[in-house]
Amino acid sequence: MGYVDIPLPRLALALGFIVVAIVLSRRGKLRLERDLAWGAARAAAQLIAIGYLLRALFANERPGWVILALTLMLLVAAWTSARRIKSGRGSRALLLYALASIAAGAAVALVPVFAFIVPPKPWYEARYLVPIGGMMLSSSMNVVAQVLERLFASARAEAATIEQLLALGATPQQALAPYTRAALRAAMIPTINGLLTVGLVALPGMMTGQIVGGVAPEQAVRYQIVIMYQLVVTTAISGALAAMLSRRLLFTPAAQLIVPPEPEPLPGK
Amino acid sequence: MTPSSQGSPAAEGRLAAAGVVVIRDGRALVDHADLAVKAGEIVVVEGASGSGKTTMLRAMATLIARDAGSLTLGGIDAAEIPSTIFRRRVAYLPQLPPMLEGSVADNVATGPRLAGASITEETLAALVTRVGLPAEILARLARDLSGGERQRVALARALANEPGFLLMDEPTSALDPTSATRVLALVRALADQGLGVIVVTHVEEHAARLDGTRYECVAGRIRAKE
Repeated sequence: MGYVDIPLPRLALALGFIVVAIVLSRRGKLRLERDLAWGAARAAAQLIAIGYLLRALFANERPGWVILALTLMLLVAAWTSARRIKSGRGSRALLLYALASIAAGAAVALVPVFAFIVPPKPWYEARYLVPIGGMMLSSSMNVVAQVLERLFASARAEAATIEQLLALGATPQQALAPYTRAALRAAMIPTINGLLTVGLVALPGMMTGQIVGGVAPEQAVRYQIVIMYQLVVTTAISGALAAMLSRRLLFTPAAQLIVPPEPEPLPGK
Repeated sequence: MTPSSQGSPAAEGRLAAAGVVVIRDGRALVDHADLAVKAGEIVVVEGASGSGKTTMLRAMATLIARDAGSLTLGGIDAAEIPSTIFRRRVAYLPQLPPMLEGSVADNVATGPRLAGASITEETLAALVTRVGLPAEILARLARDLSGGERQRVALARALANEPGFLLMDEPTSALDPTSATRVLALVRALADQGLGVIVVTHVEEHAARLDGTRYECVAGRIRAKE
C-alpha cells in the first residue's frame, strides 16, 4: 500500500491555514502576526532541511552519522531547556545538568526498547533511532525545562520560607521538597493525560504517520503503546534528575540558599 | 524531653564570630565584625537599617556564606559541624518569620519532624505556653495569625529544636507596644533559663529594656555601645 505524494504547489496551499490565523490575530489585535509568520517559515525551513538530512542519513547509514545526529539533537534539546533559566552559579553548570538529565531520561527509554522490543537491523538503523530518539529527547527537553523553570521560580518566590526551613535544620532536599513535588507532578501530568486520552481524543502523530504510510493499524498501535510507555519513563527520570541536579545550583555545599536571578523574558514580550 | 529542661546550653558555652566579612556586589556589608554571646546572656546589637546587622546575624546563623572570618560554637569551628546540627543548636528568627502551611501545631513540630523525631501533644502545648500563647492556638491555621502571634509561634517553633542560642532579627519592630513588651519579657525569661540570645534591633527603647550587653553596628562594624 503506497501513500499520496505531496507536490510543492499543493504543500503551499497549507499556508492558507497560517493566513487564517494571521487574519484572526490582526482582527483581534493579538499582535501575533509576526510570530505566526516567523514560526510558520521556521517550521517549514527546519522540517524541509531535516527531510533532506534524513534522506542523506538513510543513504549513508553508518553508526557514526546516526550517533552524531542523535548527539546534535541532544545538544539542541539541552540548550533549549536551559536557555531561559538564569542560575547564580553560572550557565555552564546548568547546561551540563540539563544535558545529563535529558540524556539519562532518553537513554533509559531508548536502550531497552531498541535492545529487546523493537530491535532495528542493523542496530543503528536511522529510520528507527532518529524519529523515536527525537520523540524522547523532545519530551525530556520539555520536562527538564519545566522542572528547572518551576524550581528556580519557587526558590525566588519562596526564598524566605526555604531559608526558614533551613534555619530549623532542614537539609536542602527537605527545604525544597514541596516545590520539587509540585514541579514533578506538573511535569508528569501531560504525559499521564496523554495515556488516558490516547485513542479517545488524540491519535498520535507517529501512529497516524505509520497508518498513512501503509503500516497495518494493529502494528502501528503497538508501536504507539511502546512510545507512550517510553515517554512515561523518560519524563520521570529526566524530571527527577533535573530536580536533583538543580539543588546543586540552588544551594551552596554549606546548605545556603542561592536565590537565582530573574529568568530571561519569553520571546515576544 | 520537656522544653523547660534546657540543660545543654551551658555545655555548649559560647557562640562567637570574629573578623567576619560579607561582601555582596563588591560592597562589604559586614566589615571585620566581632560578636559573641554566652549561654544565659543577652547581646543586643543596635544600628540603623543598612548598617549590616541583619547580614551579620544571618552569617552567624550560617544562612549566608562569609567571605572571611571565623565562627565557632562551643569552641568548635562551625564548618566542622553539619549545618543541620548547627542550625538546631543556633536558632535564627527573621524579622517577619514566615508561617509554613498547616496548623500552628504543624509549624511548631517542624524542627523535630525534619530531624525524623516525633513530638507529643504535651510538648507542643508546653512550647506554646512557654511563649505566652494558649494551648488552643495549636489547632489554628498558622497563616491566619496576627503579627504578634506569628512572632511567638516562630519562637516556639525554634524552641522545639531545643537550641542553645537564639538569633533574633528585629523581633519587636512589626509589633504593637503590648505584643512587643510581651516578646521582650519572653526573651529575658529565655536567657534566664540558660539560652544565649542575640537580638538585633533599631529601637533604642527595646534595646534598653532587654538589659543585655549592648553593641552598635555602624557601616558593617560592631563596637561596644557607649
